[in-house]
Amino acid sequence: MKHTFKAAWIFSISAVLVLSACSGSEPTAESTAKETQTQNTEPADPYGRYEEPMTINIGMQVDPTDKDLPSGDTPLDNQYTRQIEEALNIKVEHAFTASAANMRQKISLAIASNDLPDALVVNAVELRQMVAAGQLADLTQVYERYASPEIKDIIEKTDGAALKSVTFDGKMYAIPGVQADADGIHIMWIRQDWLDKLGLEPPRTMEELENVARAFVEQDPDGNGISDTIGISGPQSGDGKMYANFLESKNNLFGFDAIFSAYGAYPGYWLDDGNGNPVYGSTLPETKEALSGLRDLYAKGLIDPEMAVREASDEPIINGKSGMFFAPWWMGYGPLTNAVKNNPKANWQAYALPLDADEAFRPHTATPSTEFVVVRKDYEHPEIPMKMLNNLFKNEMENTFDPSKGGPGFYPLRVVFAPSDEIEFTNKAIKEVLAGTKTKEDYAGDRSYKLLSSDLENITKIKQEPYDDWSIDTWTPDADWGAWTRAYSIMVGGNPLVETEMDRVNSMIYEQTPLMESRWVNLKKMEDEMFLKIVMGVAPIESFDQFVEDWKRQGGEQITREVAEALQQ
Amino acid sequence: MIRDRTWGSRLTDTVILVILIVITLTCILPIWYTFSLSLSSNSAAAAGQVWLWPVGFNFNAYMQILKDTQFFGSFWISIQRVMLGAALNFIVVLLMAYPLSRSSQQFKARGVLMWILIFCMLFNGGLIPLYLTVKGLGLLNSIWALVLVGGAQTLVFNVILTVNFFRNLPKELDEAALVDGAGPWYSLFNIYLPLAVPVLATVTLFSIVYHWNEFLYGLIFMTREQYYPLQTYIQQLVVSVDPATMSEDQYRRLSELSNRTLDAAKIFIAMLPIMVVYPFLQRYFIHGITLGSVKE
Amino acid sequence: MRIKGFDKHYYLMLLPGYLWLIVFSIVPMFGIVIAFQYFNPGKGVFHSDWAGLEHFRYMFVLKDTRQVFFNTLLIAVLKIIAHLIIPLIFALMLNELRQIVLKRWIQTIVYLPHFLSWVILGGIMLDLFSYNGPVNQLGALLGFSPTLFFAKAELFPWLVVGSDVWKEFGFNTIIYLAALTGINPALYEASGMDGASRWRSLWHITLPGIRTTAVLLTVLSLGNVLNAGFDQIFNLYNPLVYSTGDIIDTWVYRTGLLNLQYELATAVGVLKSLIGFILISISYYLAYRLINYRIF
Repeated sequence: MKHTFKAAWIFSISAVLVLSACSGSEPTAESTAKETQTQNTEPADPYGRYEEPMTINIGMQVDPTDKDLPSGDTPLDNQYTRQIEEALNIKVEHAFTASAANMRQKISLAIASNDLPDALVVNAVELRQMVAAGQLADLTQVYERYASPEIKDIIEKTDGAALKSVTFDGKMYAIPGVQADADGIHIMWIRQDWLDKLGLEPPRTMEELENVARAFVEQDPDGNGISDTIGISGPQSGDGKMYANFLESKNNLFGFDAIFSAYGAYPGYWLDDGNGNPVYGSTLPETKEALSGLRDLYAKGLIDPEMAVREASDEPIINGKSGMFFAPWWMGYGPLTNAVKNNPKANWQAYALPLDADEAFRPHTATPSTEFVVVRKDYEHPEIPMKMLNNLFKNEMENTFDPSKGGPGFYPLRVVFAPSDEIEFTNKAIKEVLAGTKTKEDYAGDRSYKLLSSDLENITKIKQEPYDDWSIDTWTPDADWGAWTRAYSIMVGGNPLVETEMDRVNSMIYEQTPLMESRWVNLKKMEDEMFLKIVMGVAPIESFDQFVEDWKRQGGEQITREVAEALQQ
Repeated sequence: MIRDRTWGSRLTDTVILVILIVITLTCILPIWYTFSLSLSSNSAAAAGQVWLWPVGFNFNAYMQILKDTQFFGSFWISIQRVMLGAALNFIVVLLMAYPLSRSSQQFKARGVLMWILIFCMLFNGGLIPLYLTVKGLGLLNSIWALVLVGGAQTLVFNVILTVNFFRNLPKELDEAALVDGAGPWYSLFNIYLPLAVPVLATVTLFSIVYHWNEFLYGLIFMTREQYYPLQTYIQQLVVSVDPATMSEDQYRRLSELSNRTLDAAKIFIAMLPIMVVYPFLQRYFIHGITLGSVKE
Repeated sequence: MRIKGFDKHYYLMLLPGYLWLIVFSIVPMFGIVIAFQYFNPGKGVFHSDWAGLEHFRYMFVLKDTRQVFFNTLLIAVLKIIAHLIIPLIFALMLNELRQIVLKRWIQTIVYLPHFLSWVILGGIMLDLFSYNGPVNQLGALLGFSPTLFFAKAELFPWLVVGSDVWKEFGFNTIIYLAALTGINPALYEASGMDGASRWRSLWHITLPGIRTTAVLLTVLSLGNVLNAGFDQIFNLYNPLVYSTGDIIDTWVYRTGLLNLQYELATAVGVLKSLIGFILISISYYLAYRLINYRIF
């Protein structure tokens, strides 16, 4: 997506603070030109300038709609390339350029013709293919010696997920970018007006959740005298999923992702068994426990009795019959616009709840590393790309670059080392502008957030005081439904993301392995059907154990071995 | 043609007339709409207020294109490609069609050669070997990659069309030429060429249209945007959707970000050359196609 | 009659054309061997290990490929049927029109979309059918809630067929019109004298008069059964409609070039070419048998 690619350029304020605190020792500016390519393992200067001018040919993604460069500048000659040449004495050349949609094709042709540029940014599938074809340089030493402490810190903070994704046969073949994505966090949306009416608080634990759901079902929160309300919405028939999975790790609407994680269960994800070996989350006892909890809720009528049968799960939400559901931040774009059109008092609010036994919110996340910097096998200076990344990170922290003179996408070999934060950034910006601590003009430079200026302009049209209260009665959506849809999503849906401390749980792998291509569809189908039957009480909870056995026998075991292999490569 | 002029017949005439006009309008209105959109203000376009007349009339989009050097660069590449491609196509088609239109008695190898053509038209090794070939010839980023690769793909069709046209010409022509003692070159250029104007105009129009419209090879063989022909440039700006788009919401957000008036203006300009050339060649191609393809 | 010395001139005329085809069409066919290999780009086409028919076997196991073949067939067959019938109806209506100037104008306008690229028309379509585009605005007037047309898998094949018919029906009428003008006007006059109604003369004179053409076009379109239109779908589709809109050609493009499964993509491509070749041969034979027509 063009705009997330661009929007991910800046680091959340907290990350910058944490990271700059980490970087204790300031590097000295001595030259490292002579110590290239030796087998020594001593740390080298991550920022050292070359004495001789160096050249690197890269394949680069250029967004053709991006006209931010000042006149005279080009993707080959702009503030970023000039800074690189000045600071590192490296001249960047383009082997090829392409837009986001065409980049894959160009890389594929480069791989197929065995003619790679010196370095480029690739995805996980391409990385594997290149490793298999023996086209890449081993970057283990380069990373050890040249990676700046900040970058090492971010990469290592992913519990090794980022490093594992680039390690094959014990060698590191790429530098992984790291980012989290708001679309992968599933939060609880709840009718605050129902809670208030019934004198309840947002449920923090599974126990409270059950109580709230019971109250929603039994105490006639919509006040029509008929017992027709739903406690918790469930997935719809057809494409509905009870939980996101490692292949579709984002945007699962009306599933039970947050409930599973409250049990410490992560079905559909590949987890570490504690010894570094992959194990499929759906086969673990925690999942059984969560299923039994859900089964219990369903049996008590607290989960929509028509779940998985309903054509459209958003219907009871729109009609004001459902009190709670789980989904990502962008529900204004989802059912809430129509829900509020139907009932202007339907006060949907979002929380990072329920918490698990340790009182923590531990959501599963989308993959941390989707982009990797790789270097051609025989390139004479494999450390150059690493140094360019160090340089990028340092200067983004120090705000050296002026984004109004060309967005960060123009930095050669750029990968993101931070949460992708369009939602969080916009959320905070809107709050600052509403509070009067900043003005719209202060954000004039943040042009890579393409919708930010219109967001800031529109917010007062649709949001009234008090500005620290996000209840539906403080909004005036009638003034501009389009703007409200977006702003409500960003503010109400974004608040839990901005305000909650989260321990994110990653899947060890986010791509298919070869065997999965033929077997996975059937295994997944068996899993989905079995779990649905368990929750809906059609099959006994004990059939979970049978499922685990069947799953292993029908290819799951082999696939697990394949995943382990893929991770060890 | 004499027909009864009854009331019912006139009613039928009117109904047919109305239907035809409505259908014709559906062909022209989308183009007109695009033109109106290109002259409207951004906000009116984004809000979907534009119908048949520009709302918030302005030339901003066109002014922006005037400053877009990439656009004109690509436009120029397309023009060059069309001229080279159409000229080459004209010459080669003419040269190939004449011998291949001889009967099997006159030219024994004809049958085999024709099947080789069909084989070329139907089989291909896919884009990757094509890429390797073009790369091996050192033609990446060269306009000749576009002219030659694209031209080879349409050559066969154009040759077949022209061959059929030649074969429909009266046999006496040949015999007369032979009696006069004319060689093949003489009869090709002095007898067949003047008669072949409609079909050659048709294949030239096809070639022009093909080279102007083709976008994929630009995407494959050009490693930098500055070498893209116009359609490739527009394709990646206006229509291409990132394969990472996974939800309807993302798709909608993506389209909200596009600049509709500017896109419309680019689309409109890219249509212009075809709309300018087309009326001149139109009277030929109807003749050319019907004679080339249908033989009663 | 055959003149001995002419052959070498014929070969000389054919030389540039066949050279062109050898370099840009036949040489790249070596890539077909990828379908029978475990292709390792590091080792290249000539040194990769052989896989035999493994990829073909795998292809038949994959659910994906079956879906893609089905989508292709569905879209292509719908298009073929629509392209045979709708232009016929249009040509018949146009034939009834007596205002010659208007007829010219209609013809000129309805042929035009054929000459515009799918990049251009894709851009226009996506805008027309966008969330707040004219179609949805019109729908809103009639009380429909806005729909993201091109994000709906169940609508996509119909939009593809519909827009293709819209683009091509005008052009496809050319051949029917030619056949219609070939009907002897004396026949109409005679039936007019007899007092036959228009419907009767349509049934007894017009339709029989163009029967051969209709049969021919049907037979010829057989070769297109696996061609659902790469350019069109490539410029209109997005991941949300892959389930119904992905056709062999787009799938091969993505699988080979975006997902790096070179061997599988090539295997599917080879199979498609093979089927295409067989179909063309059949239609060549049928056309000759049924109506004594030689395609070339």
